[in-house]
Amino acid sequence: MDALSYLITGPMVYLSVGVLVFGMIYRIFRWLSVPASPIRLGIFPKTQGVSRTATVVRDTFLFPQVAEVNRRMWLMTVLFHFALLGVFVGHLRLLGRFPGILEAKMSESAHLAGGTMGVILLIGTLYFLFRRFKSPQKELSLPEDYFLLFLLFAIILLGDHLRLFGHIPFEVYREYAYGLLSFRPALPPALMDSPQKIVFVWHVFFANLLFVYLPFSKLVHFAGAVATNGIRRG
Amino acid sequence: MAVSISEQVRDLLKEKMNRQLLYYLDICARCGICKDACHIYRATGRVEHVPSYRAEVLRRVYNKYLAPLGRLRRDYGEVTEEDLQKMYEAAFTCTGCRRCMVYCPFGIDITWLISMEKAVLSSFGRVPEELSMLADAAVEKGKSIELYREIMAEQIKSYEPELRARTGMPEASIPIGEKGARVLYVALAGIHSILPAAIIFNLAGEDWTLSMFEAANYGYFSGETSKAAEIAKRIVDEAEALGVKEVVITECGHAFRVMKYLAGGWLKRDLPFRVRSIFQPFAEYLRDGRLKVHTQITEPVTYHDPCQLGRNGGVYEEPREIIKTICTDFREMTPNREKNWCCGGGGGLVAQTDLENYRAETGRLKAEQIKATGAKTVATPCENCRLQLALLNERYDLGVTITAVTDMLVEAVAVPAAKGETAEEISR
Repeated sequence: MDALSYLITGPMVYLSVGVLVFGMIYRIFRWLSVPASPIRLGIFPKTQGVSRTATVVRDTFLFPQVAEVNRRMWLMTVLFHFALLGVFVGHLRLLGRFPGILEAKMSESAHLAGGTMGVILLIGTLYFLFRRFKSPQKELSLPEDYFLLFLLFAIILLGDHLRLFGHIPFEVYREYAYGLLSFRPALPPALMDSPQKIVFVWHVFFANLLFVYLPFSKLVHFAGAVATNGIRRG
Repeated sequence: MAVSISEQVRDLLKEKMNRQLLYYLDICARCGICKDACHIYRATGRVEHVPSYRAEVLRRVYNKYLAPLGRLRRDYGEVTEEDLQKMYEAAFTCTGCRRCMVYCPFGIDITWLISMEKAVLSSFGRVPEELSMLADAAVEKGKSIELYREIMAEQIKSYEPELRARTGMPEASIPIGEKGARVLYVALAGIHSILPAAIIFNLAGEDWTLSMFEAANYGYFSGETSKAAEIAKRIVDEAEALGVKEVVITECGHAFRVMKYLAGGWLKRDLPFRVRSIFQPFAEYLRDGRLKVHTQITEPVTYHDPCQLGRNGGVYEEPREIIKTICTDFREMTPNREKNWCCGGGGGLVAQTDLENYRAETGRLKAEQIKATGAKTVATPCENCRLQLALLNERYDLGVTITAVTDMLVEAVAVPAAKGETAEEISR
């Protein structure tokens, strides 16, 4: 295996996952180490107990109020994030077998479900990108916003290619992932000798970059959104 | 070397950092959904009126100096005098209605970021003069209260004949600062805020006394928290000295919120009395039959939820209950309650005389909303809202009457005014 492919699919993965995990721990610790203001910032009406929790969960994952003021943005955002979740769960299959019948069912539907979600992600990323070219989002945007969308676009485009046109059996990817888990990273021959290798290596490369940058970017909203939505209902 | 503006802002931000602020600075995705929720942006379409953009300068300083890896970000530049001016315009042209917080997918409170900006600006001495002067005057009054007591008592006394006529009670009075009363009523400066409430309290047989202080808090609007706390503390101290069970805040949006939800935090203690909006006891009097309605209003009436009383204070139902009891044709605005459109007058904007045209322009959605109800009367508790609605009434030819809810209630339950004189006229 050439050195660059090895570095990207081996050591760099460990490094970037390490930065992601410790970076997020640091960010969460940083939030919690600053004293909260005693002023309660919540809006009314207030709910208590279980219904408050339910409201916070609804706000965080579905934010239905957004649909009232910007239906297209709401639809794209919800679709994008649920597709992201779906793709994340799909990638978990790399790390182990899902219990019982689930594994077989997921394997059966992987092409269709993964492909659909991949296409949704691609459309979503482009939508988010193009709306930033327009005022007032344009003025509101920082370089970071474009950088993140570029990273996502690259990862998703390459991932979609592997999913839809790669024709590499899933077991090959799993073999690679198991190698990573056992600290003997290597690309299996079926991937090594495939013309898709370069696509795969770049897919991993951009994902690594995203992992490294994520804890220092606005994407920490995935960890903070429940808290801020809680403040609104508090 | 002199400390740069950026560094001064950085140091203040560091000193005043709190968890909520840190969350908001870290996770705002700059998605811009807040723009769709803002009456100001919807009316003007200008970038500087996008709620999250109002925190742009602050966020830039944070990202550069305080965010993790911020030192690697060299693309933000220094904060200049012009940036401070930009921050000033951002902070003092927002009504603080927090409608954007309702719609933000993260629930980010832009006004919390703006209050930080106001703190920064105040450290540079950049506060709207009108607001700062009003705050100072209130603080001063607290220092020489004895001087005011007699003047106030004399003024109030001159309205007692009026009070006795409208209540039909020869012994009706307006007690000031009386020890042992159950309720301390905090009014706004001016008899229009005192007499109608006094009529109701007397008719309902409430054990009440009038506060020496006015409920409005200009320190809150100017963002000078130490002044705001001092202004609130005068009332807290008075209530404690009199030993009242309950402090009732007049029809005013921010005054209720300040006393009920902010004062305790500012003063870092629990208040030893209950705080209620005037509507809460008044609705009770009606429910318990302590007030008898003799005249109902038949013209269509609508109600405007002041942001500080509704979405930010939680008083939605009691004013509606009162209006529905005394009016036969009540019409809701759409949307209402926590989704109600801000009228454009909050945040101390009506006290800033140079913003009149801005207020007229940004009140467009409210004007359209009122028009759509077909109501002839708009009742609303907040004095800032009423001043703003009066401006909209004129600029958009709405042809409505704008009134306080208590004034309507007085007409429904008190002895009719002599010589066709209404409480509203008295109150002007």
